[in-house]
Amino acid sequence: MKNFFKFIIFIIIFIILYCFVFKILWIEKNPISYFYDEPKDSLDVIYIGGSNVHSHFNTVLAYNKYGFTTGCLSSSAQPFIAVQYLIKESEKRQTPNLYIIDISRVADSYSKIEEGAIRKVTDTMKFSKNKLDAINAHLNYSNIKKEDYINYYFSQFLYHDIWKQPWVISFNLGLDKSYYKGYKMSYDNLVRQKQIKSDYSNDIIELPEENKIVLQKLLNYIKKENLNVLFIVPKRLYKLEENKKINDAISIIEDNKYNVLNFNLVNDFDVDYSKDFLDFAHLNVYGATKFTLYFSDYLSKNYELPDHRKDKNYLSWEEEYNQLKVNFKKLSGKNFDSLLENNMNN
Amino acid sequence: MGLTSIIFALFSIIVIVIYFITPKRFKWMVLLISSIFFLFYDNFSLYTIIQALVVLLSSYIFGLLIDKYKTTKKGNLFFLLGIGIILCLLLYLKYTNLFLTTLNHFCNLFNINYTFNLVYRNSLIGISYYSLIMISYLVDIKRGTCKAQKNIFKCMLFMSYFPILNSGPFIRYNDTKNDLYEGHKFNYYSFCSGLLRICFGFVKIMVISQRFAVIVDTIYGNLSSYSGIYILIAVLLFTLQLYSNFSGSIDIIMGISEIIGIKLPENFTSPLLSKTITEFWRNWHITLGAWLKDYIFYPLLKSNFMQSLNVRCKKIFGKKIGKKIPLYLSMFIMWILIGIWHGGAYTFIIGTGLLQFIYIFLEDILQPVALKINNKLKINTNSFIYRLYQNIRTYLLFSFSMIFFRASSVSNAIQIIKSIFKNHVTTGNKLFDLASKGGMLEFLIFIIAIFLVFIIEVLEKKGNVREKILKQNIVVRWFIIYAILFLIIIFGCYGPGYDPATFIYRQF
Repeated sequence: MKNFFKFIIFIIIFIILYCFVFKILWIEKNPISYFYDEPKDSLDVIYIGGSNVHSHFNTVLAYNKYGFTTGCLSSSAQPFIAVQYLIKESEKRQTPNLYIIDISRVADSYSKIEEGAIRKVTDTMKFSKNKLDAINAHLNYSNIKKEDYINYYFSQFLYHDIWKQPWVISFNLGLDKSYYKGYKMSYDNLVRQKQIKSDYSNDIIELPEENKIVLQKLLNYIKKENLNVLFIVPKRLYKLEENKKINDAISIIEDNKYNVLNFNLVNDFDVDYSKDFLDFAHLNVYGATKFTLYFSDYLSKNYELPDHRKDKNYLSWEEEYNQLKVNFKKLSGKNFDSLLENNMNN
Repeated sequence: MGLTSIIFALFSIIVIVIYFITPKRFKWMVLLISSIFFLFYDNFSLYTIIQALVVLLSSYIFGLLIDKYKTTKKGNLFFLLGIGIILCLLLYLKYTNLFLTTLNHFCNLFNINYTFNLVYRNSLIGISYYSLIMISYLVDIKRGTCKAQKNIFKCMLFMSYFPILNSGPFIRYNDTKNDLYEGHKFNYYSFCSGLLRICFGFVKIMVISQRFAVIVDTIYGNLSSYSGIYILIAVLLFTLQLYSNFSGSIDIIMGISEIIGIKLPENFTSPLLSKTITEFWRNWHITLGAWLKDYIFYPLLKSNFMQSLNVRCKKIFGKKIGKKIPLYLSMFIMWILIGIWHGGAYTFIIGTGLLQFIYIFLEDILQPVALKINNKLKINTNSFIYRLYQNIRTYLLFSFSMIFFRASSVSNAIQIIKSIFKNHVTTGNKLFDLASKGGMLEFLIFIIAIFLVFIIEVLEKKGNVREKILKQNIVVRWFIIYAILFLIIIFGCYGPGYDPATFIYRQF
């Protein structure tokens, strides 16, 4: 019996050490992993979607201006299948007043989902039944070979030697900071790439059947859970067919009595296509600032979102904002406040 | 089911747990059921069932008959029939292509315009192992050194005990039967020791062998892109890769058996520290060597033919040389059989058979010359430098023979040997890039891995490392075990792209 207990203690210590090492050496940080760092019931808005979320919406700026807190459950090229599971994940820790769901990838073909896109969601989720369900759902729709499935359940199989890249440890230890409460600002986000504006079409092409099923499942879940949800179509360039399929998704969502805010049809914030994009799909830090100022104002006016700016428990939000300003100065040589002033004046 | 696969780990855990919770008298049945499951896991069909049944029924029925009639002519007949059936099946499944290749060579030689197409035979895992194991079982019954097993299911367990089906070692009925059929109680010390040995196996395979495999496979796979030092390094590394892979898999097999309470014979005792090829083969794949000595070499040497040859040779060549000729002839036959056992191709016959015989033959006949030279030059043969020279010489000779073992054909092996002596050029990846995968840290680990092979060898030669670790106080002991576990997790080569079924010795 004594030996049995010894063995159990050995295993427990091993698991603790393993989790520690895994955290330091392997996990690639993205907004989903930062989401877990937030205290329980501290987020007022949960914003879910692809990289448009963490590159467009400056959460700490929104907090600084209006005092509400936003958690991003976003990852690059996030498959739309993930949304339902990420809502479930957030419900375990948070009771937000509002969910914002980015539908820019609602029309993507699931059979073409890339491994990296799935992994950025599922590898970052904490181990639970919901995580396993999320993995299964993605794999069911994808064309990934069955023999490779095990690598999704045990992600360290793939990442166990990523630690050899020198950036990983410094990144995971927080030495290389590029996320501020989910908003991403690194040197890449300062790039200005000229885009040629194309008109957003109002025509409709029917969504593929499996995309419709996934969307309807999500809508049913939201209804069942009685969640307050705003769907958005972020401002960016779309392929014509993609644009038209998204319009079909919008009509389905609106038929289910939910609001959709299509920023491609909103002209109230002045995005300059020659300066405010870093590529065809993402706003740079200048565009993101314009978008955040507009959207956070819209949210504070249209939804009941509390102001925490005087609450000492939320000091970390102000600290992150200050850090963002310092780092922006380091990266661009410019003052973030003067950037804001210019935008406010415009 | 590769030894380092998750499925094998889960399978082994389930078997071990069920084994220890099962009442003593039924424990052997747990091993039998799991062995049958393992045997057919990758290859279940009527064809493979028939293969297993042929070996099992021949060994079981003829074993009983030999036991009953062993001193009579009938006994001899049953003995020949039993062994003949097992051998025929083995030859049919594993050596048809060797036969067809030889026929094709003869056709070429005599300008006959006909080519026999090579065939693929679907054989069960471990057929080369359990066929020889069951042959030794029949021979031992015939010799009267063991009794035939009356329970067919127990006979089946002896034939198919699952850990050894992957890479051996060869077991003998008398040495293993009690351990196999007696139910063992859980023993904490054996459990820890076995687990530690499994960890050592994982280090050897996943941290060391797989790391070398990247370079070896790339260079051997792109021979036209490399020459000179690149080929030489691949040749030298292959020996380390092969040894780490094979001895690592044996460690896992022995570790699982130790946990269950079954003692298997050791297969390696620091072969890389051997001073001669003769010594090397006493420490490398020990159970195969012992099997061939006991069941081929000595019976052959004591056969009437060899005895009469001995007499004749002594008359013709004198006593000293004459008595050596039957010895060398028996050795030659034994080494060719070792080569054939390794695979149905001439590369194996040359690499693990003929060349090894030539080395040992030369060692034997040149020994007096070497002694004279050493005495004349007053070389201290006990000095560290001289011993190191002997170790390096043995390593180089063995590595040279392994060119044939690793090559796809004899002509391919000759091309590799020629390439070693060409200019040191590459149109493929540079050696540093291959070893480092672009990172200095990985290159450093690669270099450490090379030293680690020899450090493990020295430690194992000095005594039982696991015993020493397990004697430490709990803090030191657990620290070492955690360090080994994280060594595997952090530095191991696994994940996508790594196939756990690629055990070099699994194919035999």
